[in-house]
Amino acid sequence: MKNIVVCMKQVLDPEVPLSLFKIDTEAKLAVLPKATPPVLSPFDENALEAALKIKDAQPVTITVLSLGKKLTRAVVKASLAAGADQLFLLEDESFSDFNTFLTANALAAAIKKLGQYDLILCGIQAADTNAGQVSTGIASLLSIPCITYARKVELVGDRVKVERTLPEGYEVVEVPSPVVVTTNYEVGALREPDVEAFMSAGKKPLTVWNVQDLGLESGKTSRTSFLKMYQPAHDIKCELMGGASPEEKAVKLVAKLKDLKVI
Amino acid sequence: MSPVSESYFGIPGYIIFWLLFVVALGLFIQRASLLLRLLKLGQPENRFDRLTYRFINMLAVAFTQSSNLKSFTLKDPAALGHAIMFWGLMIFGVAYLIFIGLGAGFGLYTLFSGSGFETVFYSILDIVAVLVILAMVWVVLKRYLIIPERLKREMGTAEKIIQPLLIIVILGLMVLHFGIEGFRYAAYGIPNPGPLLGASLANALVNSGISREALAITYRSLWWLNFVLLLAAVIYAPRSKHLHPLTSFANLVFRNLAPKGSLKPVDLKKPETRGASKIQDFTWKQLLDLYSCTWCGRCHMVCPAQLSGKPLSPRELILGMKEHLLEVGPDLLKTRRAKPAATTGKAVEAHAEPAAKPQEPGQALIGGVISEDAIWSCTTCRACQEVCPVSIEHIDKIIDLRRHLQMVAMSEIARDPLKNLRVRGNPWRGTMYARTDWTEGLDIKVVGEDSNIDVLYWVGCTEALEDRSLKVAQAVAKLMKQAGVNFGVLGEEEMCCGDPARRLGAEHLFQMLVANNIQLFQSYKIKKIVTACPHCFNTLKNEYPQFGGQYEVVHHTQFIAGLIKESKLKIKPSGKARVTYQEPCYLGRYNDIFQAPRQILNSLPGVTLVEMEQNKKAGFCCGGGGGRMWLEEKIGRRISEIRLEQALNTKAQVIATACPFCLQMFEDAAREKEGAEAPKIKDIAELAAESLEVPQDTARPGNKESTE
Repeated sequence: MKNIVVCMKQVLDPEVPLSLFKIDTEAKLAVLPKATPPVLSPFDENALEAALKIKDAQPVTITVLSLGKKLTRAVVKASLAAGADQLFLLEDESFSDFNTFLTANALAAAIKKLGQYDLILCGIQAADTNAGQVSTGIASLLSIPCITYARKVELVGDRVKVERTLPEGYEVVEVPSPVVVTTNYEVGALREPDVEAFMSAGKKPLTVWNVQDLGLESGKTSRTSFLKMYQPAHDIKCELMGGASPEEKAVKLVAKLKDLKVI
Repeated sequence: MSPVSESYFGIPGYIIFWLLFVVALGLFIQRASLLLRLLKLGQPENRFDRLTYRFINMLAVAFTQSSNLKSFTLKDPAALGHAIMFWGLMIFGVAYLIFIGLGAGFGLYTLFSGSGFETVFYSILDIVAVLVILAMVWVVLKRYLIIPERLKREMGTAEKIIQPLLIIVILGLMVLHFGIEGFRYAAYGIPNPGPLLGASLANALVNSGISREALAITYRSLWWLNFVLLLAAVIYAPRSKHLHPLTSFANLVFRNLAPKGSLKPVDLKKPETRGASKIQDFTWKQLLDLYSCTWCGRCHMVCPAQLSGKPLSPRELILGMKEHLLEVGPDLLKTRRAKPAATTGKAVEAHAEPAAKPQEPGQALIGGVISEDAIWSCTTCRACQEVCPVSIEHIDKIIDLRRHLQMVAMSEIARDPLKNLRVRGNPWRGTMYARTDWTEGLDIKVVGEDSNIDVLYWVGCTEALEDRSLKVAQAVAKLMKQAGVNFGVLGEEEMCCGDPARRLGAEHLFQMLVANNIQLFQSYKIKKIVTACPHCFNTLKNEYPQFGGQYEVVHHTQFIAGLIKESKLKIKPSGKARVTYQEPCYLGRYNDIFQAPRQILNSLPGVTLVEMEQNKKAGFCCGGGGGRMWLEEKIGRRISEIRLEQALNTKAQVIATACPFCLQMFEDAAREKEGAEAPKIKDIAELAAESLEVPQDTARPGNKESTE
């Protein structure tokens, strides 16, 4: 049976209301109130859906890897509820949400440790950093090809067939496995768990690995340093154009825009 | 002189009588047993509690015809016709029992013959027969000549021929009553018989010079014809569409006694209870409902989905399912009998055929009998069940079908709001607000920080997270603060009450949310809950007890009305306005709260309350219930537009409501109205709060607020 590995990041909910979003500039962290749980990165949900679509057609084992300092079990287990077979959590104090190389390195080490992999699926980017570097990092560290921006992924014999979205359409790429593929939204939204999975997700196997388990020396693999985190302040001034008629308002507006050198 | 005492071709009359009777009874039992066995195809359901109450209630409803007569209007007086027919045929039933059944060989007839009782009884029968004939003429008129919308339905040729038979039989029996009476009096020379019509017919016959012998023979012939017609009706009725007179009594006995607003919980551990996709997935009571429908069409005429051009008709749902049951049921019984091992769950013998999945007979229920569009069109407004005279439950069937679509067929319907419920605990995906944003500047306790409260204000997702409704939450809070109520909110810890999940069929999500909220209530020792949302109100009050959550739940209209009554709110005189009130289905029809909102409106100085034509129990849905708030309304007219027109017909300047869904539906519908036509749409709490603070501002006509 073929093995698919899906890398899924737990992120701060991108849909969190603005008033709940606070940055701790000292700790360089986003702080959330306790009642607002994180979510699985929506981009990575597309990757899992791509894996599940393959599973719909042929028997495969889907292994999900999630990496973070501290992962919320109820959130990461959603991947099991959606249909993944096993979940490995890479949890260590030395991990960081923003350190791409460290993340790719740890994920690559975990994939090596798993041993068997025919296809590694990632979202095009993480919904918090939007960096999009981990997938190519993993491919490079494992010395295997990486195909980005896939809208459809199939396993055909020993090969992986991918439809890549292009501005003017799509191209079909076929490579021998193993390979890293990043998927876009065209794959489709992640299916909702059925009732059985919804109720039994908590019972599916879950393994936790730390840096020692992965054979890594913490801290030393970092190649980026994180300088500053802040909430950008947008100062919006609003000026209403007065005038007796719409025509007069329009004339004033045009004059103002010319003043500001916008037009 | 009873016709059964005579001999016919050497055979004693009573032998012929009982032979015919036994044959008819046999044929009746044969059919009735099939119908009963078809019920047993259904799933178990306990409707056997409080049997005495159930039985007495049935007698009261049936014999007063209250559930039927409540639909009586001068425009459509059919209910009166039905009551006449019911009472009339009941009296005739007694007559048949005494004068035919018990008379034939048991001697009762001779006992009564010539007595005062007979005179009085037959006089009554004369009047009854005339009334029933008039009612039947009305039936013929309405079913065949001037057919009202509610009775229009497509029929096959065979149906068109068979359908009028029972009408002919009843008319025949009534006419025969006079014939038998007249000929008997004339033939046997009974002096001065009491019954007027019978007596005049007898007089005419005696004066016509027909021989006594001929009169007696005619009398006996008519008597036997009457008997044969009766037996024919007994054989025919259970085989026809007219099961209704036979099963409605049972349907009333086994009607739902649980709170109107509570849906039956699903045992999630049992996959077979996750909704219904086949006729045998419904319970026996749900199937009994089907027998009891007689196509009066009342539900068809009040259904907002039907009236706005959507493919759902509650009448067609029930009749379609009934036809489906009668079509596929007998085959299902055969397959069941052929495979007793499969049904009892015992291991199949080694030599048995491998369990090939048997082909389901007939067309599919979902997609065939009822379309998915129809299933999703229901707003669960309960107008259909309110008018149904025989307590048929339409909504639980639709919800069971939805449960199958959501939990087994994994439908994509309402995927976004449902996923949002699962992940974020509210159905408003993409809201810009946090649950406490509306409290800014109001200094409101959050229970997690200070749990010393008397009342929990359950804000609900819509009033906490939807732009327009935030103002309602603020108004409610202001009123409670003014009145000095010690209350708090759950803030970010609050999650959806579960109503949308349950009504959209996602029972697993509903139960997850309920478990979460009950745990919260427990940890904060919550006893009393006030909410401004009728859907939250209904679910917390009527459905949480199914999972062990018992609280005193109060709707904000009740709570505010109470505060006004206790003079805890000081209301100042304000501007004048004509106000009409939109009845939220889950407040009115579901929970019988009609007075509190009107009390508040009437206590606001300057407010003139004008009722819409359809109000209280007949209130018309805004289109937002049953999870429809989160589904697109692509087919037909928008229900909210229809209701807005009805509201504008009252010439009201303000439409008051007490439900965040009604509020939003009206705001949407009113968006197209401009200038003087544009009504103000307000929650009652907002109107009350405005009367407290800015007296001049209350409900100034045409002064529509700018929308952000």
